[in-house]
Amino acid sequence: MAVLEKLLRSKVVIWILLVLPGLWPLWPIFIRPNPSVGADPLKYILHHFGFTACVLLATVLTFTPLRVLWPKWGIAQALNRHRRLVGVVSFAYAMLHLTAHLVYETGLDWSQLGHVFEVATTKPFQLVGLIAFTILLVLTVTSPNAAIKALGGKRWKLLHRLVYVAAALSAYHQAAARKVFPMQVVWIFGPLLLLEIARIIRERKPKPVARKAAGNAEA
Amino acid sequence: MLIRTKKDWELPESAVTSESAYRTHNRRDFLKAIGLGAAGAALASRDLLAATGGFPAKANPDFPASALKPTAEEFVTSYNNFYEFGTGKEQPKDLANRGWKTDPWTVELTGLVNKPVKLDVNDLIKQAGGIEERVYRHRCVEAWSMVVPWDGFALAKLVALADPKPEAKYLKFTSFLDPKSSPGQSSGNLDYPYVEGLRLDEATNELAFIATGIYSKPMPNQNGAPLRLVTPWKYGFKGIKSIVKIEFVAAMPTNTWKAMQSSEYGFYANVNPKVDHPRWSQASERVIGEGSTFIPKRQPTLMFNGYEKQVAALYKGMDLARNY
Ligand code: HEM
Repeated sequence: MAVLEKLLRSKVVIWILLVLPGLWPLWPIFIRPNPSVGADPLKYILHHFGFTACVLLATVLTFTPLRVLWPKWGIAQALNRHRRLVGVVSFAYAMLHLTAHLVYETGLDWSQLGHVFEVATTKPFQLVGLIAFTILLVLTVTSPNAAIKALGGKRWKLLHRLVYVAAALSAYHQAAARKVFPMQVVWIFGPLLLLEIARIIRERKPKPVARKAAGNAEA
Repeated sequence: MLIRTKKDWELPESAVTSESAYRTHNRRDFLKAIGLGAAGAALASRDLLAATGGFPAKANPDFPASALKPTAEEFVTSYNNFYEFGTGKEQPKDLANRGWKTDPWTVELTGLVNKPVKLDVNDLIKQAGGIEERVYRHRCVEAWSMVVPWDGFALAKLVALADPKPEAKYLKFTSFLDPKSSPGQSSGNLDYPYVEGLRLDEATNELAFIATGIYSKPMPNQNGAPLRLVTPWKYGFKGIKSIVKIEFVAAMPTNTWKAMQSSEYGFYANVNPKVDHPRWSQASERVIGEGSTFIPKRQPTLMFNGYEKQVAALYKGMDLARNY
């Protein structure tokens, strides 16, 4: 446990963990070519980046409840050092997902771009993705310390609560992307939901210690 | 470039491939070229799987391989929607080949017909007069397309065998039900068995086809062995796979996807670039296997998938936006 905690405290380790999933598509496309992927490689990449964005978004949101529920747990403390980084990288994958979508739909014929955005804003499932993306964009832009100062802690905190909206919209978007409900949505967002419920129950309890930890974790 | 008279359902010249390019895809031509011919086709047939009757098929000159560039065979057999064997495109190739038996296979023609019959698929092929090869465009409702050389026989021949009574207005197709062999059926990702339907006049249209093979070989399990429906002017989900029963009925049957989500999937499912899916546009399509790795080829989707001349009359006066 102590080793894991030490590793998770390291920025380098976290960076590696964040970049590796982005490289994954190289495997079925180039290293061990899989014709099921090769038939439509950019679609595979598009799905993979969307999937990674959702996983990272759901993951980063578990950090705070983990710390609230187990304030003395070293791993929870280690993870909470990286909240901003993981959140921003989740946005980066959403950005790559959107880029893949735009290239996929236009085939680089940019005269089609207007049509692609028209579709994105008229199809509810895509519009939901677009709103989630816009929230993540705003949160990323306002994530540097300077932005926190400029906004003021209270307003910044309120603004960044939107991340929960983004997560809910992403879960809906991921589920609606398929013709039948994909179970992966449950195992990506389910643990987060359970942790949040546990956290709310814990924060309701009139235990001064828990209250204090929760108060700190909000920031 | 080939110099030839273009049939009206063919693609523009830009999409036509040279014959030598096609040869690399077409195994039968390849076998012929090296002198194996029928013997090669027999070697290729796996005697425990699918219907082997009738091979090698004669190419139907009305639907030639030279007119459309067939998609690479490995993509056609690796990129499949066959939810009985998983919802992932890569799953059917694996999960449909883990002991699921498609030989022997019995097909039942029943309902409002004068000659109801239950027969082995190879006998059916014999009675239908053998098989032929037709190269058709294939357009999935998910906005991707392929070109597939099918082997099989006209559905009209099967209809003639059954000899429908005058009350018969529709065909109801039913696929297999075997949850032990089908992880999709045991998990219940759709309502099984899979059901599809056609109007009788659609079924007797010259394009409607029962395929028992692709690329001059018996149908691979993941593509719907041993026999499946092919209606190239409709979205791929109409092409019910692994058929066990064809029933002639008076009322419009409810097809599986329509039952699942009627706001998104209808009975007709005609390819129509002007009628969007509620979640995406149908105006254009990704051409599987074409373009480069990161810059896929797209092309505009054609009305009735380019088969307007053959089928438009079937839907005269119908509101196609409401009858999707
Ligand atoms: C501008 C905004 C967005 C657009 C236009 C967009 C578009 C799409 C489209 C068209 C698909 C379906 C692809 C297909 O199967 O044909 C999809 C799937 C998906 N998107 Fe997005 N998306 C957007 C934002 C997001 C965001 C912000 C996330 C996550 C945080 C996300 C995660 C996903 C996931 C997980 C899938 C499912 C992939 C799968 O089925 O495996 N998307 N998106």
